[in-house]
Amino acid sequence: MRKQLVAYSFIAPWLIGFLIFTAFPFAASLFLSFTRYNIVLPPVWVGGTNYETLVYDDPLFRKSLWVTLRYALVAIPAGTVAGVALALLLNLNLRGIALYRTLFYLPTIVPTVGVSVVFLWILNPEIGLVNRLLGLVGVVGPAWLQDRHWAPWSLVFMSLWGVGGSMVIYLAGLKDIPVHLYESALLDGANRWQRLRHVTLPMLTPVIFFNVVMGTIGSFQYFTEAYVMTRGGPEDSTLFYALYLFNRAWRYLDMGYASAMAWVLFVLIMALTGFLFVTQRRWVHYGD
Amino acid sequence: MRNRGPFDLSPAQEFAAHSLLILLSIPAALPLLWMISTSLKPDSQIYATGNTDNATAFLQNLLPHPVRWTNYPDALKTVPFGLYLRNTLCLCLINVVGAVTSSLTVAYGFARLRFKGRDFLFLLLLATMALPGQVTMIPVFALFRWLGWYGTYLPLTVPSFFGSPFFIFLLTQFFRGIPEELSEAARLDGAGEWRIFFRIILPLSRPAIATCALFQFLATWNDFFGPLLYLNDSSRYTLAYGLQQFLSQHGGQWAHLMAASVLFTLPIILLFFFAQRTFIQGIATTGGKN
Amino acid sequence: MATEPTTPEEPTIPDARSTRREALGRLLGTAGTLAAVAVLATPPPPRPRTRRVPVRFWHMWTAEWEAVIREIADRFNESQSRYEVIPLSVPTASADSKFLLAAVGGDPPDMMAQWNLVLATWAENGVLFPLEELMSAEDRRTLRTDTYSFVRKVGRFQDKLYAIGIGPNLSVCFYRTDHFRDAGLDPDRFPTTLEELTQAGETLTRFDRTGRLKRIGFLPTEYPQFAGLFGGGFYDETTGTVSLNTPPNRRALEYLAEAHRKLGFENIVRFTSGLTGDSGGSVDWPFISGAYSIVVDGQWRIEQLAKFAPDLPYRTAPLPPPNGGTPNAGWANADMLLIPRDARQPEGAWEFIRFWSGLTRPETAAEFFLRGGWLPIRPAIAESPIYRDYVRKYPALRTFLEVLPSPNLQPPPPVPYQAFLADSISRMQDLVKRGTLTPERALETLETDIRQERQRRRKLGYAE
Repeated sequence: MRKQLVAYSFIAPWLIGFLIFTAFPFAASLFLSFTRYNIVLPPVWVGGTNYETLVYDDPLFRKSLWVTLRYALVAIPAGTVAGVALALLLNLNLRGIALYRTLFYLPTIVPTVGVSVVFLWILNPEIGLVNRLLGLVGVVGPAWLQDRHWAPWSLVFMSLWGVGGSMVIYLAGLKDIPVHLYESALLDGANRWQRLRHVTLPMLTPVIFFNVVMGTIGSFQYFTEAYVMTRGGPEDSTLFYALYLFNRAWRYLDMGYASAMAWVLFVLIMALTGFLFVTQRRWVHYGD
Repeated sequence: MRNRGPFDLSPAQEFAAHSLLILLSIPAALPLLWMISTSLKPDSQIYATGNTDNATAFLQNLLPHPVRWTNYPDALKTVPFGLYLRNTLCLCLINVVGAVTSSLTVAYGFARLRFKGRDFLFLLLLATMALPGQVTMIPVFALFRWLGWYGTYLPLTVPSFFGSPFFIFLLTQFFRGIPEELSEAARLDGAGEWRIFFRIILPLSRPAIATCALFQFLATWNDFFGPLLYLNDSSRYTLAYGLQQFLSQHGGQWAHLMAASVLFTLPIILLFFFAQRTFIQGIATTGGKN
Repeated sequence: MATEPTTPEEPTIPDARSTRREALGRLLGTAGTLAAVAVLATPPPPRPRTRRVPVRFWHMWTAEWEAVIREIADRFNESQSRYEVIPLSVPTASADSKFLLAAVGGDPPDMMAQWNLVLATWAENGVLFPLEELMSAEDRRTLRTDTYSFVRKVGRFQDKLYAIGIGPNLSVCFYRTDHFRDAGLDPDRFPTTLEELTQAGETLTRFDRTGRLKRIGFLPTEYPQFAGLFGGGFYDETTGTVSLNTPPNRRALEYLAEAHRKLGFENIVRFTSGLTGDSGGSVDWPFISGAYSIVVDGQWRIEQLAKFAPDLPYRTAPLPPPNGGTPNAGWANADMLLIPRDARQPEGAWEFIRFWSGLTRPETAAEFFLRGGWLPIRPAIAESPIYRDYVRKYPALRTFLEVLPSPNLQPPPPVPYQAFLADSISRMQDLVKRGTLTPERALETLETDIRQERQRRRKLGYAE
């Protein structure tokens, strides 16, 4: 009993904060998803009409869900691999490593205007770096962000720029791996690859797991870059779910409908997160 | 003292690693370099570009000529930079302290203690991140109004003292990676959980703590919408708001915007450059002594 | 540069000294936090205590325009002793959210400047104050008889005026006289029909050896404007309904599609993306570098050209209608001043609007209009000596003043789903300009989309 109390005293800050600041807004938005609510006038109960309309009568809902799902399916694995690889590289004992780390972290610090302008330039069909390089080997590059087939993948490519954020977390994870594990691996005659495979990666799995879960949540709520750079275009190829939700909520003033959209997304994210949690027993190694 | 440890490389490997890193860091550094270059260009050069058919002209235009340093003092004159910096730093400090301390405590509870409803509560914690903020904004705003906090700094600071789900989850993962025997040994010595938390877990978690502090600092530093939403007096706004003041509907002073962006980014770069040492002084070299 | 310590520095279990140090650190941290809280919790220095009634004014102007707004507010504050206007710049991206949250909470500003497509939706839901209730008999008379009809139209929703369109935003042709001469065209005789303009555009367009575009003579881009010129539009004022798939709208979209097809859809995408001005904020305008010979753009370009390309040989002319079309027509918007329903000082806000817009003293207000580069709202301002001087300085403005009185200018359709309609129209025009949909299919799809949206609204009980 006392043990329980001690435990609760540790999580108390969050629990209290949840009850004060989070529980009510959550309940309120769930309620609003069953109403007609244009922000300005008081909400009116409409039952499941919002959900019904979403599923049966809204082509943009389906489209934006597909755009988001497709993005998540590629961006999460790509980001994970790139993040781990970069962290491993930046964990080496090299001269000037502090400078390298700072350089790779830059894109996550620089204001979005800076990153997006440079990105637009790099992927510019005419004068862009990528297409100029492709031109050297005789390939005519696609129009990237201006082409509905390529625009979504261009954004995945751009997301790799932001890998510095997860790199920092992986780096912290790498630094937490006790050296004695490597020492015993060396004693067993393990080579570099074997040490990576049997010590580093397993010990990093709790952090990888964290980044995959957060990547899932983040990808499904992907908004800023699309809002700044493509506004959903060309031809709706980058109309992400959160972008459409934003339009419904604040531009078309239909907060009830947007709330229903948000709760559909919520269920989807939680299902995926739950799935990840079930699988973690198979691949995540904890100290306990 | 440099012994050949598991992280040391042969000269050839070292050379390969350097080459790879330099190659990869070019695109990473480009946005900043471009910002710096644009921030030093005279307006006439920015406006005089256009359809750049030939490559040399295009490349020439990447660099400022002549270099216009006065863009910086000019940009500084446009907004009350010092005032915004003060406001921003205060908010950052409070939020970093609040979010990190509270998240550490909560994460310890979730990671290292067993109690009824733990799994459910942890799922609840994750769930709070899964609902887009767009739809909770109105009730949250209503709540703060009801509390009488509209127009004060309280909505921007107080919530951080109740833990951030992102950090709690992150720290939980780190704490769970620390061998359980360490805590068990201390418990046998009669140490209470708070003592174990302070004496064993915290000193072992510096990299994670530094990461959280950095992320929170950055989040508060960049938060433009929060202050704008809850404050109605421009003298209480932050740097992120000041930066927005350079973006305007019809173009405007592009060079000034970039100069302001550079000034906005520089402190964070320096902070990261010096803080990243913390990641190195983690337990990597000491954790094995048990 | 930082070098890494490779030897252990931190003992795992802290010794007594470092514990004390940590405790001290914690103490200092706490003290620092408390101090910071104290600093932040201190209310800002009170404004000079006047007995004036504060009028809180939120606007979306930033950078050099924000200074202009501050100056206008100062001038107003000096001009009378009852009110004190306090302007606050709220950048566009978040202005609507902030305003709506404040309005729902019952604490909106007393006045706001807007140019997003919100008027109809906000007015329909009772967020806005009907301005006529605040006007004196004379204000009403001036408004009715001595303002441009577009100004009255753009702030109107269902028979009530909710906003004063302080700065109408019109688009006319900007053309390069040097390109005209080189191509053997007479810059003094700008085309007066769209057919002539199209032909002139073809004469001015240049390709390189490989057949890629080097210069575009003229390329129509904004569908809503051309719909108006072809005698169409998206809203029927007499019936109060939207009109989409009509013969003139179809002709206009076909014209747009044909113009793009002729130059090559892919060709255009590549050419326009190669213009630096088309990426990242479009501060550098391709018209300056000569990528276009004729473009359609707004009055704010004039001052920009004077500032950044003072020697550029250019002129302006109205965008001509096709044979049998409607002259000076098309979709136009305005920067608007409005008053929220729950404003605490609607009278003070209206005082300020009158002062600024020149409803009472056009001669004084004329100065504000030229400082902000706004087009006047009434002939009395355009004819004031100071505005005339301004036009003499920037002769390119004449075209805008010529178009301004036109009864054919159409504000965005005043329907409650205005933003959705605008988004749908721009989606369809995009599909057509890329050659993905035929104009006919696009308009059918547009009609279906709007019908579905209205159905959705009806089902949920919203006004259509």
